[in-house]
Amino acid sequence: MAESNYKKIGLILVFTLPFLLPLVIFWVIPLFAAGYISLTDWDMIRPDYNRVGFSNYIALFNDVDFYKALWHTIVFSVGVIVPTIILGLGASLLLQKPFRGAAVYKVIIFSPWITPMVAVSIVWSWIFEPDTGFANYLLGFLGHPGLEWLKSSKTALLAVIIVTIWKGIGWTMIFYLGALEKVPDTVYEAANVDGANYLTTLTHITIPLISPTTLFLIVINLINTIQAFDQIKVLTEGGPAGSTRTLLYMYYQKAFENFEVGMASALSMIILLIILVLSLVNNYFSKKWIYY
Amino acid sequence: MTGKTFFKHILLVGLSIVMGFPFVWMLMGAFKTNYEIWNEPFKLLPNSFDWSVFYETLTQAPFIPYIFNSVYTSLTATILVLINSAMFAYAVTKIKFKGSELLFWIVIGIYMLPVAVTYVPGYIILSRMGLLDSHIGLIISWAASVFGVFYFRQNFIKINDSLIDAARIDGSSEWQVLWKIIFPNTKACFITLGILTFIGNYNSYMWPSLVMKSKEKTLISNGLIQFFFQEGGYGMNWSKVMVGSTLTIMPLVIGFIVLQKWFVTSINDTGVKE
Repeated sequence: MAESNYKKIGLILVFTLPFLLPLVIFWVIPLFAAGYISLTDWDMIRPDYNRVGFSNYIALFNDVDFYKALWHTIVFSVGVIVPTIILGLGASLLLQKPFRGAAVYKVIIFSPWITPMVAVSIVWSWIFEPDTGFANYLLGFLGHPGLEWLKSSKTALLAVIIVTIWKGIGWTMIFYLGALEKVPDTVYEAANVDGANYLTTLTHITIPLISPTTLFLIVINLINTIQAFDQIKVLTEGGPAGSTRTLLYMYYQKAFENFEVGMASALSMIILLIILVLSLVNNYFSKKWIYY
Repeated sequence: MTGKTFFKHILLVGLSIVMGFPFVWMLMGAFKTNYEIWNEPFKLLPNSFDWSVFYETLTQAPFIPYIFNSVYTSLTATILVLINSAMFAYAVTKIKFKGSELLFWIVIGIYMLPVAVTYVPGYIILSRMGLLDSHIGLIISWAASVFGVFYFRQNFIKINDSLIDAARIDGSSEWQVLWKIIFPNTKACFITLGILTFIGNYNSYMWPSLVMKSKEKTLISNGLIQFFFQEGGYGMNWSKVMVGSTLTIMPLVIGFIVLQKWFVTSINDTGVKE
């Protein structure tokens, strides 16, 4: 009996360690290490450091740039998520019933999602050129004088938001298509018998029925937008005048440009806390919101 | 065609143009010369479709080795993820041991961790292991996928235990059960997770750019950005930059065409939540 017990333990180790080892080395240990480093003034170059308690956190909470970055993160997240959800839902409603050519539309709408953010952001940075870019050429057609886009602190965040929405619509659409498929046909038939028109069916039946998917998409998109980096790096590098610096971009600059590793780690713990709270809120609401 | 379907197609065509235009613009830009771009910036088609700018760009920056580095590291890490996620998910669903449920949920909790938290310590850990600027280091740092474990567990749990017990009675080891019973029944999941993991790795920029230093080991995302910033120094050469972007996207486009059926249909069910 004892021998077979050892055998089972060995078996379990063999099956779990190949996953658990990299998980512990590259996720679990770094989590605790980041928490520890956030309490120091380490600069990543000197071998020694001082423990400074919570002074990194206090410095951040007294830093105007921190609140600006927090505000940019909020504007960016909301500015990306609301249109992405609406457009993704719209596209999935148009493609819900199978018809000839639907697959072609799906592939085109989905394609931005699979391409590297770095490459497509570069294309967009050309489109946003004030003099030779296509965006202002289009605005010219509409009789608009054109914008400075990435060159102005007033419009740079808008441009970054547009690129992020463009990249995310297809992914959101795919999730909604899956959710719409699961709504039973009998529900629509019943609504039809009751004489409900398309719009009432949509707002009173379809949208409430797929609300768990909406909630899921909002939370996942929030977590992703908070961590957005590549498009900001290519399009603006956080500028002009810090107008596109989000919390994550601020983290990157502090850690890998200024080598204020202690401060950066404190910032990363704050980002972690924000995501944790959002996930808990999600859990709470998803229990209340399930319709079926 | 009724008015309603006509209207539907108008909307879909409009959306498709917006979604597809940057790719068309990129490809056309790659065939234009830089002179053309600056003189007639809004012309859609290039004067001629010749490959001269492609040749020029490829002699200027090693895009093909960059792409090879990315494909090699991404693919190796994807294979590791498929194997170790399947093994872990199999252990918690089919071997079952004391605390297996708890272990699974602790692991899932890590999914919420923003990856930025791990960058600084992860960098230090890799450097202590002597694996900075090494493809091996990057691959093992990519080797744990919490999403992979979650996704496999959801699908393995649906497989009937009687199948597995029958195989065990016939003398199959756990390893054989996993690859001869579970794997053939969940092939679609393996392909889906493989595609998603590969795309995620191939497209990622920040972490590989931090840990990879030497030029011959650079991945395509970082190589492209370096080329972009370098070309931007003295009046942007959009033509060459578009060639670089086109080359970067190409492996994914080819993969997308080959595996198209899997992409759209199977990504649907990653949205299935408990």
